[in-house]
Formats: sequence, structure tokens, C-alpha cells
Amino acid sequence: MIMPSGQQLLLPANPFFIWTSLIIALLLEMLPLGRVPWMPDFLALVLVFWNVHQPQRVGIGLAFMFGLGMDVHQSALLGQHALAYTALSFFATMIHRRLLWFTVPSQALQVLPMFAVAHGVEIIIRMSSGGIFPGWTLLLAPLAESMLWPVVSVMLLAPQRRAPNPDENRPL
Amino acid sequence: MPLGTLDRTPPPFFRQGPSALSKLMFFSALALFLMVADMRFKVTQPIRAVVATALYPVQWLALQPVRAAQYGGGYFTALSQAKTSEEAARQKLAAQSLRAGQVEQLALENARLRKLLDLREQKAITGLAAQVLYDAPDPYTRKVIIDKGLAHGVELASPVVDESGVLGQVTRVHALVSEVTLVIDRDMAIPVLNARTGARSVAYGDPTASGGGLELRFMGSNSDVQQGDLLTTSGVDGVYPPGLPVAKIERIERRAESAFARIYCTPQALVGAALHVMVIKPVSGQIPLRPADEPVALPPPVKKGGSK
Repeated sequence: MIMPSGQQLLLPANPFFIWTSLIIALLLEMLPLGRVPWMPDFLALVLVFWNVHQPQRVGIGLAFMFGLGMDVHQSALLGQHALAYTALSFFATMIHRRLLWFTVPSQALQVLPMFAVAHGVEIIIRMSSGGIFPGWTLLLAPLAESMLWPVVSVMLLAPQRRAPNPDENRPL
Repeated sequence: MPLGTLDRTPPPFFRQGPSALSKLMFFSALALFLMVADMRFKVTQPIRAVVATALYPVQWLALQPVRAAQYGGGYFTALSQAKTSEEAARQKLAAQSLRAGQVEQLALENARLRKLLDLREQKAITGLAAQVLYDAPDPYTRKVIIDKGLAHGVELASPVVDESGVLGQVTRVHALVSEVTLVIDRDMAIPVLNARTGARSVAYGDPTASGGGLELRFMGSNSDVQQGDLLTTSGVDGVYPPGLPVAKIERIERRAESAFARIYCTPQALVGAALHVMVIKPVSGQIPLRPADEPVALPPPVKKGGSK
């Protein structure tokens, strides 16, 4: 198998774990914290992560459905998050073969433009449909998302990093 | 198969499903269609209702830590603070009790005078108490979510007031919650009456002001407005009952080059921190219908260019 040297072979991802992580990200998004424009979009981050690591399981259709849910929850324009997440998921699918050859910090740098485009799509739609400008702190959101990429990588890859044959010396 | 995993099921080689680009096209078109349907035609309420019902368990779960924090915070509030707030409430009650005593008498007097003058009776205001759950996270609008919905009899377009003034209007009703657009939202306009002069005008939401405010537009630069004037609802719109405080005039800019003055107002309601609100039934259902137009006898048409 062709893979980056020095990397560990990973266990297959449990579908139950994928769904749990997506639901937890949705829960984080739904915490009633008020209007915070710079808040990183955890759901987008987790969706992109699974899109890159498990493109067979989490694709554009699922991203669209979660986006629709976010629109209804935020009482935003219906389809705004759906379009942003669809674009995000498409870009993630496009770069998923290339991205995993890089180290995690440079992966974070490579996903930054994708998140910036997703936020750009949202702001263009809303400003053209007569919304209030949310402030320049919005620019921090893609930065925060890309800085959280290593954290998410470690957390969501941990169950796949377990040993395939656990014994007494390696219980996990 | 994803890179570097021990996945034992190889991916299908020939049946890969639609390509990513075609999926992108399909779902983007669907999203754009939904946006147009939502913005222009306002026909997406059933979709919203279905998705909102599906999301309700997760929303409920996400609200629990906040409720626990509120409850815990209230539990551990210092006794002295509770005493001060009780003292303040008592003082307010004492100040209001005099006026409250007069209200009965004034209402009776008003009813008699109205009967004497053969005016229509004032409409009784019926309300429903509700609690603000959270600010809508959408940063492009100014909305809050309250905990009463269709199941509790909330109607679309009902005015919402808090203890000190008009907070906004119900713009979307779900099964168990509703959305209230605040008076400071850009799309909100509310007919007001200057309580000092009796002049009617319309106040528009102005979210760009610090903390949000309102603006009186199209008032001539020589119009009689002063700093500190109270604006109340005028009651001519068929939505808001008359006499509810809306805003106070904060600042007036009269410019030489413009025929209109720029008038900035601060909302009276606690738009950033309202917790307990009243949802009032819109008065439109109680207003009598317009009488039918009587046919007007038209003058016979004049023939043009007949004689020359």
C-alpha cells in the first residue's frame, strides 16, 4: 500500500463514532451563547475532517442536511449554511487524497482557505439579501477553525489509533 | 479506501455514484432554490417546521447546561443582593400604587365619557407571558427565541413587550418556540407617536448604533422634537395597541444641507437582556372592517378634439 512513511496503520472508523462526533459538534453549535461572529464553526470543522478521512461515509449530501439544520436552528436564511457546507464538503473531497500526505500543522494551513471561502459565501449571501454587517471579528472565525484542526485531528483519530491486537502491555 | 487504514471492505471499483462535481451542482442548486423560496416567496415554513421538530431533542439538550447555570447562579446569589433588589421592587411598587389606584377611577370615567361622546370602546389587551430562551445566533439579524409557540396559542405578527417597553414582533412561529424580531432590527419599522407633541411618525431599527437603536426618518429639520422625548406606539397600524413606550430620543442632528433631521433614539425595552416578556394579541382582528366604497357617479366622458 502506498502511504506516507513513518505513519501508523489506522483501524477502520466506527460509524457510530462518526455519528456521535457529528452530533456533539451540532450540540456545541447549538449552545445558546448569543451572537458571537468570531465563534469557530465546530460542525463545519468535524464535517471537513470526516470528509477528508472517510469520504465514503460522510459526503456532500450529509453536509447539506446538517447545513439545513443549522439554518433552521439559527433562524437564518434557509439554505445559507447548506450552500456553505456543500461548497466546503466539495473542496474537502477534492483535496482529501493530497491533504493526508502532509503533516498536521501544514494540513491546518491548507484547510484555512476552504473555511474562508465558506464564510465568504455566507457573508456574500446575507449582505446581498439585506443583512446587518456582523463586524470585522468575523474574519477570526476561519482562523480559529484552522487552528482547531490539529486538536480535532488528534481527538477524532484517537479511536482509530488503538492497537489492532490489544494485549496486556497494550490494553488500548 | 481512505489512506493508511486497515479498512477491510474495498470500495466499489466501477459504481462510484455521481461525481463530486455533479453532487456540488445539485446541492448548490437546491440551496439556491431554497433561499429564493425563503426570501421571495416565503413558502418554506413547512420545511422549517419539520427540521425544527427533528432538531428539538438536540436543542433541548444544548439548553440544559445554560438552565443549570442560571438556576445555580440564582441559588448562590448573595442574600444582600436579594435584599437590595427587593427594596428596589418595593420602592417601585410604592411609586406605582398611587397611579394604580387612580386607574380604576380613570377607566370608569373614560368609559362614561366615551359613552357620552358616542366613541368606540377601547380594546382590551390580552397577553401571554413568555420567557426568552436565547438570542438567535445569526449575526446578520437581531432576533430572540421565546419559549411559547403554536401549542400555546402564539399568533404570527403579535407584538412582544417587556416590563419597560415594546421589544419586537413575532415573525416566525414554531410548534413550541417562536422567533421575535427586535425593534432594533434593520427590517423593523414601528409607527410611533411623540408623547409630548402628539406628532405621529415611524421609527426604523438601526442596528449599527452601539448596542442597537432606532431612527426617526423623514422628520423635517424644523420639526418639533427634543432630546428626551418619549415615543409611544400610536395604535394606527392595527398591530400594536396604543400607548406602549417604544423609545426615547437620544440625539438630534440638524444639518443645513438636508431637509430632514437625523434623529437617533434608544429603545425603552431591554433589547439585549430581556428575560420575561408578554406576547400581546395583534389588534388587527378587533378593528372593524372598512365600509364598502359607494359607487361614485362619474361625470360623462368629455370627447377630446371634437370641435376645432
